[in-house]
Amino acid sequence: MRRLMCLLACVAVAAAGCEREARRYTELPAAANRSTAVRLTMLQPGSPQPLSNVQSPYQYNAYGLSEGKRLYAAYNCAGCHGLNGGGAIGPALTDDKWIYGSHADQLFSTISQGRPDGMPSFGGHIPDQQIWQLVAYVQSLAGMVSQDAATSRNDDQAAAKPENRIEDARQIQTGHR
Amino acid sequence: MGAPLIQSALHPAGIQAARIEHLWWVMFWVCSVVFVAVVVAMGIAVVRGRGAASSASEATLARSVAIAVGLSIVALLVLLTEGELVGRGVASLREQDPNALRIQITGNQWWWDVQYLNPNPSLIVTTANEIHIPVGRPVGIVLRSNDVIHSLWIPALHGKRDLIPGRVTEIWLQADRAGFYRGQCAEFCGLQHAKMALGVVADLPDDFERWLTQMRSPAPAPTTPSQTRGKDVVERGPCAMCHTVVGTLAGGRTAPDLTHIASRSSIGAGSLPNTRGNLGGWIVDPQHVKPGNHMPAPGLSSEEVQPLLDYLETLK
Amino acid sequence: MKLWAHRCVARAALVATTSFLATTSCNKPAPDVRSETPPSARPLSGAMADPSRLAQDDGQWTMPAKNYAATRFTALDEISTGNVKQMGVAWTFSTGVTAGHEGPPLVVGDTMYLVTPWPNILYAFDLTKPGAPIRWQYDPKPLGAAKGVACCDIVNRGAVFANGALFFNTLDGRAISVDAATGKERWVTQLADINRGETITMAPLVVKGKVFVGNSGGEFGVRGWLTALDAGDGSVAWRAYSTGPDKDVLIGPNFTPHYDSDRGKDLGITTWPGEAWRTGGGTVWGWLSYDPEADLLYYGTANPGPWNPDQRPGDNKWTAGMFARSPDTGEARWFYQTSPHDLFDHDGVNELVLADLRMNGGARKVLMRADRNGLLYVIDRSTGEVLSASPFAPVNSNKGVDLKTGRLIAVPEKAPKQGIVVRDICPAAPGAKDWQPMAFSPKTGLLYIPHNNLCMDFEGMAASYIAGTPYVGASVVYKAGPGGNRGFFTAWDPIAAKPRWQIKENFPVWSGALVANDLVFYGTMEGWFKAVDAGTGQLLWQFKCGSGVIGQPMAFKGPDGHEYIAVAAGIGGWPGAIVSADLDPRDATAGNGWGGALGDLKSATTKGGMLYVFTVSGGK
Repeated sequence: MRRLMCLLACVAVAAAGCEREARRYTELPAAANRSTAVRLTMLQPGSPQPLSNVQSPYQYNAYGLSEGKRLYAAYNCAGCHGLNGGGAIGPALTDDKWIYGSHADQLFSTISQGRPDGMPSFGGHIPDQQIWQLVAYVQSLAGMVSQDAATSRNDDQAAAKPENRIEDARQIQTGHR
Repeated sequence: MGAPLIQSALHPAGIQAARIEHLWWVMFWVCSVVFVAVVVAMGIAVVRGRGAASSASEATLARSVAIAVGLSIVALLVLLTEGELVGRGVASLREQDPNALRIQITGNQWWWDVQYLNPNPSLIVTTANEIHIPVGRPVGIVLRSNDVIHSLWIPALHGKRDLIPGRVTEIWLQADRAGFYRGQCAEFCGLQHAKMALGVVADLPDDFERWLTQMRSPAPAPTTPSQTRGKDVVERGPCAMCHTVVGTLAGGRTAPDLTHIASRSSIGAGSLPNTRGNLGGWIVDPQHVKPGNHMPAPGLSSEEVQPLLDYLETLK
Repeated sequence: MKLWAHRCVARAALVATTSFLATTSCNKPAPDVRSETPPSARPLSGAMADPSRLAQDDGQWTMPAKNYAATRFTALDEISTGNVKQMGVAWTFSTGVTAGHEGPPLVVGDTMYLVTPWPNILYAFDLTKPGAPIRWQYDPKPLGAAKGVACCDIVNRGAVFANGALFFNTLDGRAISVDAATGKERWVTQLADINRGETITMAPLVVKGKVFVGNSGGEFGVRGWLTALDAGDGSVAWRAYSTGPDKDVLIGPNFTPHYDSDRGKDLGITTWPGEAWRTGGGTVWGWLSYDPEADLLYYGTANPGPWNPDQRPGDNKWTAGMFARSPDTGEARWFYQTSPHDLFDHDGVNELVLADLRMNGGARKVLMRADRNGLLYVIDRSTGEVLSASPFAPVNSNKGVDLKTGRLIAVPEKAPKQGIVVRDICPAAPGAKDWQPMAFSPKTGLLYIPHNNLCMDFEGMAASYIAGTPYVGASVVYKAGPGGNRGFFTAWDPIAAKPRWQIKENFPVWSGALVANDLVFYGTMEGWFKAVDAGTGQLLWQFKCGSGVIGQPMAFKGPDGHEYIAVAAGIGGWPGAIVSADLDPRDATAGNGWGGALGDLKSATTKGGMLYVFTVSGGK
């Protein structure tokens, strides 16, 4: 019995060694071996690849934008970023300063993944469709969607200009490119 | 809720609705008589033709006009008097009855948020889309709206009253017979206006008190592993972002309170009977049942939906 | 000893990394710190063991409020009305942190201590050497995620010294004790859970070997508490919640509040709808005082949550009021609610200054509170009876206190409602006075109150409780109160219940006050640090700091025998976040309403934390 156990142990050790020593040259299928990244930076090694031009499906859609506005209040985004996007606990969204990028896919990943300095991760807690609606609405807060689709007058206290009448944020004295 | 659904002003179940029904019949008969009289007069005129009219004397003509005007005034007075009497009768409930039940209903696209008010705040009850009222006791309903103008109409109990954003309106009613009455939003309020129904259960007083006491309890703790998993789905999944289940971490207010969802007869504000199959179908794809409603497809897997249903069924 | 320390550190680190919400203690009983040598080379009197006696030494500053009575008064008189004009900078220190610096430096022996806002680094400076070089520093490495649940900037209101150790809290919810001589960690206890929206910003208080710590997060639907920890090993001795059943609030047979409305069983449940008390706020982020004679601890509880009052009908006990408790057991003795069913975010956490005043023909042991609701309360601290409550700033949202029932008299037309904008409510949500602590001079008998002059428009909105996200439900816009100035610095006579003199300031005065004999010090949000005559309010000296001043000034006697005044500058805090968090005041609701009132702050100051130490002796 003891001999058998000993043998089994040896086999087990050998098997573990197989795993350690295995050389897998094609772990992933060749076609899946290079994914496109959601880049949060312009800087890339070598000659830069263009940033993705993914857009929110709701960028030109009035209903999607108004749903984004409704969700912005319902999911307490407004509590941190201000009822009209002026910021509070979280940064302002109406200006043209973006810590993690203003592209739709960057905003999507910021909302979905969260960010380490306080942005909660909403992925899995709200459906992706609603994240895209929020992405479009957040862009509208900075005047980045067409004015005819952007939401307008608030039902509540008017403490800021409506999203479709917001001045170009660049009118405040900031450098821009 | 096997009881037949009543949504008709001609089957009144309360004193207000009875008065309104009375007025309806008075209007019906007066208007019928007037209608018949006018049609008969018109017929006579057509048959007698032009010649007869021109031969009538000035005096006969004046008498005929006087009779017609007199009858119209009488009919009008009858209607006005009846209208005034019914109006007073309907309003009489509003005189503060200390025994009255006070409910607040807030309209949302497209569901009803319900609170049973109480001077002792810890006895306040929150529910949605279905109210219970005691038979024989006046009920004062405070009406508000969170978005657009809605209107509450429970034909078997009373007339309509609008819910207006930024304003507070009120309606008083009383059910005199136990039963299940259907109310409906009566002011077009958007895409799913038609599927914005309010169930009204008129209970005998003892049944009502039992129901209200039950509503005051938080959600029971899950007893089976599946129910536990279901509660976990509520708290960790998308449900908690919008719904409240008292006794759990779910405290959302943008959607109906689910603390006692299993005790309600329908889901989706009267869209479907509340059965396990319907509820499951609703959760998986709410946009199929009620397109445009504010609940998105939550993207739950079947390993999550079944325990979730097991848990929701315990929320009585 | 060394081995023990290692095990302690390792264990604490493990607990910190796993965010395990439990208390930790080292296996070995903590060494009796009283028998250790004091941290300084300079010998101290035998008072070392007793923080209250140490606090009476005006050469030292061992707790943010100077002493248990929270007077912020020192009798040091080298810097006087005559020579303050010559006062200049002795040395400075850049904290490298750009958030709001609300904390004060402490001085014990020949060492100064300063804890920064997040990342909550604790510095010790050697005052015996020129320029006061860093003696040691301790970095608790708080989680960055905690910044997402800190309502009003990522501030820290200070550390406290007792028995050879320093005690302070981190934004991510830990209470920490380090050795004052070496900076070595003694213990770490995780108390608050950021996933429930809890943070800790307050300065603890140490009484009779216990450290008292309260949570922040009234804007996140947390349940407020005060926790007592063993100063030796950091284990939890008791926790008193501010809502819920009597057994959680530590209300027992010895609870004898003065007013009927505070008597009854489980009022912490029955004055709330449903289970709203579980997310009802009442946090303890402000100040604690202690009366050694009565052996009672006094502290306030913050606003009920959410702000939208329609979601929480009832008196919402035990929020927006003050407790007197036994420090040993936590047992409540009395409670008084300054704002029953608070309508305006009027937290009841402001400091409670203890004094003995001649009132109503006799000597009364009182506590004084300049409340957010605009009333200056003088309360009998043994019973909780309100002796007087008088407006010290423009108020139209209440008509004072009914002294028979103790209840605040509300003004119905200023009560916020869901879906309706109510205009021109005074004072605004930050109150006539927020956390910024006042000082009391036993010489003049006056309170020196740094405060606000703000009104607001308020609309209640439905708020969803989603754990870890804000739970507010209000659209608010602040604006300057009558007169157009947004701040005041007021010298208040608590017996006559009227101001002796008052200085108008353009911005809210968000710094603490200090009385150094005949001088009163305070800072402004533009960055002026000012000295005024305690008797007349005449401006005698001012210095423009690099950033707005919202810190707590303090005074000490250096090892060279000279008096120094120190303050940390660094704009931030709730209003200053307009600058420190770069908010956009084109949205008047930015910063929960400050966008409307402080749109011009960005052109008045910039961010940056710097400690300033002033002297008339030329310094080193």
